[in-house]
Amino acid sequence: MSSRDLKSGNWTLGVGSLKLIFVSLAMLLLYACGGTGEKSDNENVQSRLTTDDLKMFAVGQQLYKRYCINCHMENGEGLGKLIPPLKNSDYLLNDVLRSSRVIKYGLKGPIEINGQSYNQPMPANPDLTPFEILELLVYISNAWGNESDVLSLEEIENHLKSN
Amino acid sequence: MEKKAYKLVLILLVLSSVFSCGAERKQKLPILGRQEFKEVNGTLDTIFHTIPDFSFVDQDSVTVTHETFEGKIYVADFFFGTCPTICPIMKQQMLRVYESFKDNPDFAILSHTIDPEHDTVAYLKDFSLRLGIPDNSVWKFVTGVQDEIYEIGSANGYLVPVGEDQDAPGGFIHSGAFILIDQEKRIRGIYDGTKPIEVGALINDIPKLLAEYEQ
Repeated sequence: MSSRDLKSGNWTLGVGSLKLIFVSLAMLLLYACGGTGEKSDNENVQSRLTTDDLKMFAVGQQLYKRYCINCHMENGEGLGKLIPPLKNSDYLLNDVLRSSRVIKYGLKGPIEINGQSYNQPMPANPDLTPFEILELLVYISNAWGNESDVLSLEEIENHLKSN
Repeated sequence: MEKKAYKLVLILLVLSSVFSCGAERKQKLPILGRQEFKEVNGTLDTIFHTIPDFSFVDQDSVTVTHETFEGKIYVADFFFGTCPTICPIMKQQMLRVYESFKDNPDFAILSHTIDPEHDTVAYLKDFSLRLGIPDNSVWKFVTGVQDEIYEIGSANGYLVPVGEDQDAPGGFIHSGAFILIDQEKRIRGIYDGTKPIEVGALINDIPKLLAEYEQ
C-alpha cells in the first residue's frame, strides 16, 4: 500500500529529524552557556616560526599544560605578586637559556621581574629531558605575544651541565 | 511533513535557549551532609550537618571564630603557601569570587592553611598582600593548631580530605574544593576550585543563597 509506504518513509524522516534536533540542542547548549572563549595565543607564531619550530611549540604547549600551568596560568600572567609572569617577562626574554636551568633545577630566593620582586620557590623538574626543556622554552618564549629566537639542543645540554 | 519537522526543530531550539540559560533565582540551594532526625513533641525534626565551632588566627593576627561569620555566608577552602600543584589556580579562581562579592557586607572568604608550621601569620600577610588582598575585611587567611585545621576539614566539618602525605607533591594532600556555607553554618554547595566552570557555578549560586536572607 502506497500510503503505508509513505508513512514508513515519514518515520525514517522522523528519526533523522530527531537526530537533527538533538544535535542542534546540544550545540546550542554548548554555545549559549559557554563561559570564556579560549583565545588563541599563537596567531602570529605561525608566520614567525619554521615548521620544525612550530612542532616544538605545539609539544611545548602540551608540556606547559602538564608542568607549568598550575602556577604560571594559561595566559602566562602568573598570580598577583606571588607567581611571576612569563608573558612579557624581562627575566625570561632577556636570557631564555638561563630559564632552562630554572626549569630543570628549580629556583629559591627572591628574583626581580619587570621591576617587581617575587619570592615564591619554584619546584625542580628533574625528569624533563633537555629536548623537552627546549620544547617548553620555544613555547613560553613565543606564546602570549612573546618573541624570541629558538635555541639549539646543544646550547641547552651544555647550559644544564654548567654550574 | 518535512516542513513540520523543521518547524518542530525551530520551536525546540527557541524553547531550549529560553530555558537553558535562564537564571532561576528563586531556586533554593540544597543542604548537604548527613541529616539526622529527632522526635520533638511527636513530630520529626530534621537536624542538618553544620560546621562545628572553631577558633583560628588570620593574616592580621585577629582571632577568627564561627561568631566572626554571624549574619554572613562564606566560602571556605584549604591550601598551603608552598603548594606546587593546585593552590595557585585555586587562588586565581578564588580571586574571581572575591572580585564578584567583595563589596557585599554579608559575604566572606575563609582560607585555611594546612601547613601552619610554615604558613605563619606573617607569611599569610605577605601572601595575601601579594595576591592583592589589602586586609582581612572580606578574605581571611587563617592558621592555627594543625590538628584543629584537619579536624574542621574532615567529615565533622567541611567534608573534604586534608592532611599530611609524604608522597604527595609538597608533602600535603588536600582537596581543591570551595565550600559554600550559609548563615546557619550548613553546607550549601561544594565546588571544584580548580575548574573555572565550577567556580562560575559558585559565583552564580552565591546570590541565590544571599537572596534567602533578604526580607
